[in-house]
Amino acid sequence: MSETISPAERLKTQVELLPILVRAANVAGLAIVILVLVTIVASLAPGFLSPFNLFTLTRNLAIDTVIGFAMMVVLATGGMNLAVGSIGVCSIMFTGYLLEGLGLPIVVSILGGLAVGAILGWLNGILVVRTGIHSFVITLATASLYFGAMLILTHAEAFRELPDAFNALGKARYGSYSALLLVTFVVGASLFVLFKYSLIGRQILAAGANPVAAKLSGTPVDRVIVIAHMLSGLCAGVAGVMVTARLAAALPSVGQDWLLPSFLAPLLGGTLLSGGVVSVVGTFLGAVLVTVLQNGLVLLEVGSFWVQFFLGLTLLVAVALDRWRSVYVQRAGLKR
Amino acid sequence: MTASALLVEKATKIFPGVKALANVDLELKSGEIHALLGENGAGKSTLIKIVTGVYRPDEGSVSVMGSSVDFSSPRDAFAAGIGVVHQERNLIPRYSVAENIMIEQLPTKWRLIDRGEMNRQAKHWLGALDLNIDPDVPVNRLSVAQMQLVEIARALSQQSRILLLDEPTASITENEIKVLFDLLRRLKGDGVAILFVSHKLEEVFELCDRVTILRDGRNACAGVPIEDLDKQRVVAHMVGREDALGDIGERHASIGKVMFELKGVSTAAGHQDIDLKVHKGEVVGLYGLVGAGRSELAKAVIGAERVTGGEVFVSGERATVRNVQDALRRWRIGYVSEDRKQEGLILLHSVAKNTAITVWHRLGKFLNLFSDRQERDAIISFVQKLDVRTPSLEQDVANLSGGNQQKVSVAKWLAAEAEILIVDEPTVGIDIRTKGYLHRLVWDLAEQGAAIVLITSDLAEMVLLADRVVVMRDFRIIGNLQNTYNYEQMSRRIMGCIHEADVVVGRADGAPALKGA
Repeated sequence: MSETISPAERLKTQVELLPILVRAANVAGLAIVILVLVTIVASLAPGFLSPFNLFTLTRNLAIDTVIGFAMMVVLATGGMNLAVGSIGVCSIMFTGYLLEGLGLPIVVSILGGLAVGAILGWLNGILVVRTGIHSFVITLATASLYFGAMLILTHAEAFRELPDAFNALGKARYGSYSALLLVTFVVGASLFVLFKYSLIGRQILAAGANPVAAKLSGTPVDRVIVIAHMLSGLCAGVAGVMVTARLAAALPSVGQDWLLPSFLAPLLGGTLLSGGVVSVVGTFLGAVLVTVLQNGLVLLEVGSFWVQFFLGLTLLVAVALDRWRSVYVQRAGLKR
Repeated sequence: MTASALLVEKATKIFPGVKALANVDLELKSGEIHALLGENGAGKSTLIKIVTGVYRPDEGSVSVMGSSVDFSSPRDAFAAGIGVVHQERNLIPRYSVAENIMIEQLPTKWRLIDRGEMNRQAKHWLGALDLNIDPDVPVNRLSVAQMQLVEIARALSQQSRILLLDEPTASITENEIKVLFDLLRRLKGDGVAILFVSHKLEEVFELCDRVTILRDGRNACAGVPIEDLDKQRVVAHMVGREDALGDIGERHASIGKVMFELKGVSTAAGHQDIDLKVHKGEVVGLYGLVGAGRSELAKAVIGAERVTGGEVFVSGERATVRNVQDALRRWRIGYVSEDRKQEGLILLHSVAKNTAITVWHRLGKFLNLFSDRQERDAIISFVQKLDVRTPSLEQDVANLSGGNQQKVSVAKWLAAEAEILIVDEPTVGIDIRTKGYLHRLVWDLAEQGAAIVLITSDLAEMVLLADRVVVMRDFRIIGNLQNTYNYEQMSRRIMGCIHEADVVVGRADGAPALKGA
């Protein structure tokens, strides 16, 4: 195949379609599955397309996508962040404290919440890099550590008297859709630019795909891994603030159920578990699939036990897809 | 004595883009030691992998003791009585010597492993090699040479009728080689068929009965009695035409000032008192056996391993290389790794990204942002200059042939404008044509003013390319020889250098003492 080759001069003009098609096929395949699912759900459950349901659905979607981004950024490095939920709830409680406890302006409180997320993520990164222990173990530990520290500091007491102007953010809508989607799009666009056009993004992917080769080519592997964890914490913080606005309260119980959706969205969307490949659009579509599935099952009144069951099943499918992709890549590499 | 123990007929193996083997024949008789020779990339490893069930031939047949076989896994080959010592280490590091030796045939008592019996049997096979090491020691505590011998002991313990040895002497000393050869002769007397792969022609002429030579994936000769050959003819078979060595044109050396210098450098990896000078325009070869510390030295130079003492100078300026970025950006030192799949390339990523990784940091203007087009424009001339055969710059590197992958891993250092380039085993597993191309490239780069350190285990390549050969052993530099471009003479001097050091330096590897007989 590649040995039968075009002369090098043609490189400049020729745009290779196949890799683009393969990538597009992944996204397109996901889009088709979503369309089919939406059609089925909409025809079985008439309430699906009602303005109320669309608003709830898109609000959940906005949040789940950002949770997915939080995991995606660390998956890019070949690691994982099991502390996504714990970081999220720390941001939530800190934002609530700033708003209600200190009465600080909304913008300042939000920035404070995001800063907590970024700092806790940064700490994860530092621990991973300094100890050389896999992020799975580190973030498993810090997940409990952060959550415990939050409980100690807040005595597990919620902040329920948040300013109306803040709570309005959660109710804001654009047509039938939640305005929180705008936040998600801003985060998504930033990550897209990061991974496609920036030095740091490329270095994160290189470090994720092959840390040894990246290091020997002059990539500051440790630094970019810390940055990826910090961005992950920041995304978890964004998701936390969004949840706070949605609930109009800062609850210490939020975040414990984030782990599953955080893996589902990126893995369904084509981000490799082994690192080095991410898809921002894919993560968004993955989150759409999960949200629609969840929402549809609720509307069809199959019961919440089945929702858990189906989400687990979906994750298995996503992981199988991931496995297939990486085996495919590996084969391509070993053939020579 | 005339039965074919192992017969390979017209074996062909095609990897996408490369015909690794084409119609290769190999016949091994019981009671003979048969040499398999060829340059790196000639197809020896592929042939061995076919015989040991790692690969399946696309065409051709393999038969053992007269009956045709079709191995689908290495266990099949083992069951058919084929024992093998692979070139790469195949020991399980934390397991004991005895466990590693007996792993395929653990003695049991009531379905539990009988450790006493296991150690006793292991000791027996170690004894056959005059090896006095405790079978209970985990193998990661052994020296490289001892590990090699443990692997040989394992192959012996299987009492195979067919024994394949892929470069068994690469990292063991003269004494151990002698013990091994005596043992192989004994096995031969017992009727075992032995295939012996080595780069050291002296050993082949000392030990072997017949010779099969591969070149470019084909038989250059098959089963020729050793008496009918001399070294010149063997080399001619291996490299092809007599003038093959002259193929890459003339070397127009113009050696300039000292560009790079190490003075009394020691490293965390274990190097001591390393003195090395490389001039502008010079190609300095770094030769040594496996485990001599060459690649480790290269990594220390580029800041990937810690330098613990001594001084480094770049263009006369005292240099402290903190990390690889520092080496790349400030001191313009590049390192083409010996292991392109693990250390050289990011297989998952495109040709463009792999080539541009060393220049990303200077592509962006605002916030370090840049587009794919900027990336392409920055590196396309280097990809073209090296004639990388790829359908597009977006192609994943995993889909290129070995030779083209190697070109990409060189191209990124050209793009980075490295002035000091360390090239580690640049032509391992690469087809002859690309090899010649890379050889010429090394000279071209030197002639354009780079200082080049060439690490290669291929002595012919070393003698062909280097202006000067620096010999390493046990993480020290033990010789510095001007190249005479005479293979016979240089190989004698280099080997002499290494063996002389054997006496002087002794075995300074800190591992448990190995008491040879």
